[in-house]
Amino acid sequence: MTNVKFLNPFVDAAAEVLKAEVQLSIRRGNLSLQKSAMTADDVTVLLSLVGQVQGVVMYGMSTTTALDLVSRMMGQEFTEFDNLAQSGVAELGNVITGRATIKLSEAGYQSNISPPTLIQGHSIQVSTLDFSRIVVPLMTESGQIVVNLALRESPPDSQDRNFVPISVP
Amino acid sequence: MNVKYLIPFVEAAYEVLKAEAHITMTRGELSLEKSPYVTDDVTVLISLVGDVQGTVFYGMNAKTCVAISSAIMGEQLKELNNLAQSGIAELGNVITGRASVKLSQTGFQSTISPPTLLLAKGATISTLDFARLVVPLTSDVGNIVIHLALRESATKGANAALLKVPSAPGV
Repeated sequence: MTNVKFLNPFVDAAAEVLKAEVQLSIRRGNLSLQKSAMTADDVTVLLSLVGQVQGVVMYGMSTTTALDLVSRMMGQEFTEFDNLAQSGVAELGNVITGRATIKLSEAGYQSNISPPTLIQGHSIQVSTLDFSRIVVPLMTESGQIVVNLALRESPPDSQDRNFVPISVP
Repeated sequence: MNVKYLIPFVEAAYEVLKAEAHITMTRGELSLEKSPYVTDDVTVLISLVGDVQGTVFYGMNAKTCVAISSAIMGEQLKELNNLAQSGIAELGNVITGRASVKLSQTGFQSTISPPTLLLAKGATISTLDFARLVVPLTSDVGNIVIHLALRESATKGANAALLKVPSAPGV
């Protein structure tokens, strides 16, 4: 079961990062909880969390929004979603998620994030299986960024399932 | 991308498919790719975090996916329904989990994320600056292509966020 308490760290992190990196303020749209597979927009940045909170976070947007965000970020006009633009938008997802995990750790949930993966393909189906998703659209001047959180608190015994603690020499 | 991460995954895939689905896989030619991956019908995507970090994905067509899921479940599935999707995601999970145990035996601790399933032919997946080692596995029921976009973490041995912070640090 996805927990709403994991939501605010992501929304706050997104607001702070977008403000600092691209000088955009966000307005939060209506929340929804979805169990079926996500139908992707043009661009999806996907990151995984492992630790006391585990699951997948996805940031979806149109190519237009992605290009506008990257143009603002890099201070130059992008008209094509090339390697640099892809790298920029993935990095934005990385920074937002990284910042959100710091906020989560302040709330007592330690977790680590994976490197970002970028998926392109309009109306493809992305399923997080038994993880339901909290979906929150963030409205900006660049367009809409849809945050999908498929997260849950790790069961206490499974967290270290394949993690062997670092031994002190 | 380091080739030493390859063997654990190929061994794990072979062992898991043999045990769970009674399918014998043969390894095809390796390749190293930097360009984005154009997906087949089904892709299972799992991330690794720890001493080795990155993303692993398993790509196959719908027919192979249904055949493998049918073999795991022990019943003939007709289409790529929820059960087939869940079966193939779990297979990716078990293979990756087993591979990470093998990796830990060689000194690389890592934790795996829950699987994500992509159902789309022709979408592109980019691992950005991570090059991918591509290993096709062939069998009677079709091919599975394993993509490994992994590298040794810069913070090996100091996986800070997984360490518990003492509540009252001693002076």
